[in-house]
Amino acid sequence: MEFGTSGSLNEDGIHVDMDRLKKGEVNLGTSIMAVTFKDGVILGADSRTTTGAFIANRVTDKLTRVHDTIWCCRSGSAADTQAVADIVQYQLGLFAMRNGKPPTTQTAASIFQEICYSNKDRLSAGLIIAGWDERHGGQVYSIPLGGSLHKQPYAIGGSGSTYIYGFCDSNWKEGMEEAEAVAFVKEALKEAIKWDGSSGGVIRMVVLTAKGADRHLYLPDSDYKIRHAT
Amino acid sequence: MPGFDFSNYNRNAALHARGVPLPKATSTGTTIVGCIYDGGVVIAADTRATSGPIVADKNCEKLHYISPNIWCAGAGTAADTEFTTALISSQLELHSLSTGRKPRVVTCMTLLKQHLFRYQGHIGAYLVVAGVDPTGTHLFTVHAHGSTDKLPYVTMGSGSLAAMSVFETQWRPKLTQEDAVKLCSDAILAGIFNDLGSGSNVDVAVITSEKTTLKRNYIKPNERTQKLKSYKFARGTTNVLNEKIIRKEDLGNFVTVEEISVAGPGDQMEVDA
Amino acid sequence: MTSIGTGYDLGNSIFSPDGRNFQVEYAVKAVENGGTSVGIRCKEGVVLAVEKVVASKLLKPGANKRIATVDRHLGVVYSGMVPDGRHFVDRARDEARAWRDTFKSPIPTADLASRMGGYMQAYTLYQSVRPFGITAIVGGFDSELESPVDGEVGQGPSVGAGGKAQDKDYGGPFLYMIEPSGLYWGYYGAATGKGRQAAKAELEKLDLNGDGAASLTLEQAVKEAARIIYVAHDDSKDKDFELEMSWISGTNGPTKGKHQEVPKALREEAERLAKKSLQDSDDEDDDKKEDDKMEE
Repeated sequence: MEFGTSGSLNEDGIHVDMDRLKKGEVNLGTSIMAVTFKDGVILGADSRTTTGAFIANRVTDKLTRVHDTIWCCRSGSAADTQAVADIVQYQLGLFAMRNGKPPTTQTAASIFQEICYSNKDRLSAGLIIAGWDERHGGQVYSIPLGGSLHKQPYAIGGSGSTYIYGFCDSNWKEGMEEAEAVAFVKEALKEAIKWDGSSGGVIRMVVLTAKGADRHLYLPDSDYKIRHAT
Repeated sequence: MPGFDFSNYNRNAALHARGVPLPKATSTGTTIVGCIYDGGVVIAADTRATSGPIVADKNCEKLHYISPNIWCAGAGTAADTEFTTALISSQLELHSLSTGRKPRVVTCMTLLKQHLFRYQGHIGAYLVVAGVDPTGTHLFTVHAHGSTDKLPYVTMGSGSLAAMSVFETQWRPKLTQEDAVKLCSDAILAGIFNDLGSGSNVDVAVITSEKTTLKRNYIKPNERTQKLKSYKFARGTTNVLNEKIIRKEDLGNFVTVEEISVAGPGDQMEVDA
Repeated sequence: MTSIGTGYDLGNSIFSPDGRNFQVEYAVKAVENGGTSVGIRCKEGVVLAVEKVVASKLLKPGANKRIATVDRHLGVVYSGMVPDGRHFVDRARDEARAWRDTFKSPIPTADLASRMGGYMQAYTLYQSVRPFGITAIVGGFDSELESPVDGEVGQGPSVGAGGKAQDKDYGGPFLYMIEPSGLYWGYYGAATGKGRQAAKAELEKLDLNGDGAASLTLEQAVKEAARIIYVAHDDSKDKDFELEMSWISGTNGPTKGKHQEVPKALREEAERLAKKSLQDSDDEDDDKKEDDKMEE
């Protein structure tokens, strides 16, 4: 492995690298979000994956299923977030089989948090967990870099999120209709993509309700206006 | 203990921080690509291996066998791609034997990503995984840190930018096998001619549900041709200034010569006492 | 028991030809000698009670508790060999802790019963161990509210969370009884130990599942539990005993979802009523003719 140019020796003579991403690591410079609405929850993300200045994948799917109606948005290191999501997917699958009932969003969030917190110095993963279950309805949890767990009515994350704090704060409403919530997520991500160089490509969404998971895809070719088949 | 030894890591890091340059690992500046078409998948690679600025091998093989229906193209550290693919090939064959089923491409991809993630990028293997299994045709990239992507066409290595430009301008849905092979080899050629780390020939593998065809040196755009002029020096071009002959009998004056006697019948080694 | 003494009772993991595990049956015998335990599940919560036989006058009254708390919302009482019961409780606490560690939420009563049932059953399988000499009654109240994830930052939002299934209730009171074989069932009322027959007869008279006015309140259940323990003890008047009782209500009830000892005042009132009820029925019995007596 090559060493980055940054970093210094501390008093123990141990090399300290301040970069969270290792050199050449695949990064999800990202705009991700999840919002609760009247019937459940919607997750949304851009599709850009980068290695330095190179776009390694322009149609990435950053919305990852960990159970039928529990999904997560991934930001940070692609390798780390994929590994964590794979572990949680396995754990929730096992949970469902053992207990004969689907896991709750809380259960998923707590498994995610345990992994993120206990490996905090090894991982660079910023995750948003969103899910629907019969008892709690649509719920959104955010797990930022240190591994803390925050329950929120909606959450935004990734490098692009800095540009849409104002937009989301003034436009999010409780109990939106599905179409309204989809439009809100789309407009927010359009702004994030517009201003953030590390975000771009298509807009992907997942709508989680009592009816299950419904995937949306919007292409930049049509200015994200038309919903395409996935 | 099997596995890697990282005991010198901190020493190297400390030396590096003090300005000592670290030795360069042999890496394959490479162009590798893959592309799905109707009925199968094609992967292709150049054949140049480099060690710093030196071309270490002009015709190396970067397409690695995993199973009859799954092949890998490798970029990054040459030894790591070679041994990682060999290891996963072995595990997959044992798995296939114990399940009695054909190996799947996702299984291969998952084994690779979990292996590479465990080593946190220290195994410098960047792979294109392609294959056809009972669930369909699949194409993945696996990066050294363990992340994966699933796409209809992919490029990796130092020549990936040149190769991707070919795909992004010429790829279209529902390619025929001939189109896919042409597209992949064109992408590799773009790498060979525009990337310093890539060069020499084009290797192509075509995988269908029926069979895999490995087209080794499918295109050889850099053939060595007859030199236009002979650079052989004529006998006697260099003058003989003086001459001295040493005969065998006089050899003893220059080196010690000892006669070794041939072993007699009694001294023979016993082989079946 | 025809196959007794023929070697089929010498170890666990040996079946007799007629398909019995004698070690387990002997463990049940150990339970049948223990002080009576009772559990009542009513709409508002769960009551656990035990007849604690006083083995010596030197023991401090009220000390040496027999009902254990396994988690905030879970209680266990058992009849049979007390050291076995203590180990059972230790294990149950480990299970509850482990569940909280992985899922950051309290273990549902049903899941604890399942885990402990599995644990007891494992002690019927191997030569090297003997079955538990107890039958345990597990009572719990699974929260009817939406509780936050342990370790979640802050209280969580008051808005959001759309699309809940309407008119559905969650959580509630649960009661399970686990036998030495590992067999466990969910109950409205459960009894085990020496006086179980009499206790079961009394439990069956109660309306524990009805929705109407006749259905038992939690306080009535406490009084019934006390009375049943006294009734069950009545057969063996020879020994002294103490009554120990605990209860678990929902969030809006007297224990606020926690497993707690029944307050002294209420327990003493329940005991007074229990003794009075026994007195009354004794008087009734005295009126009856001698030949009405049941014999066994």
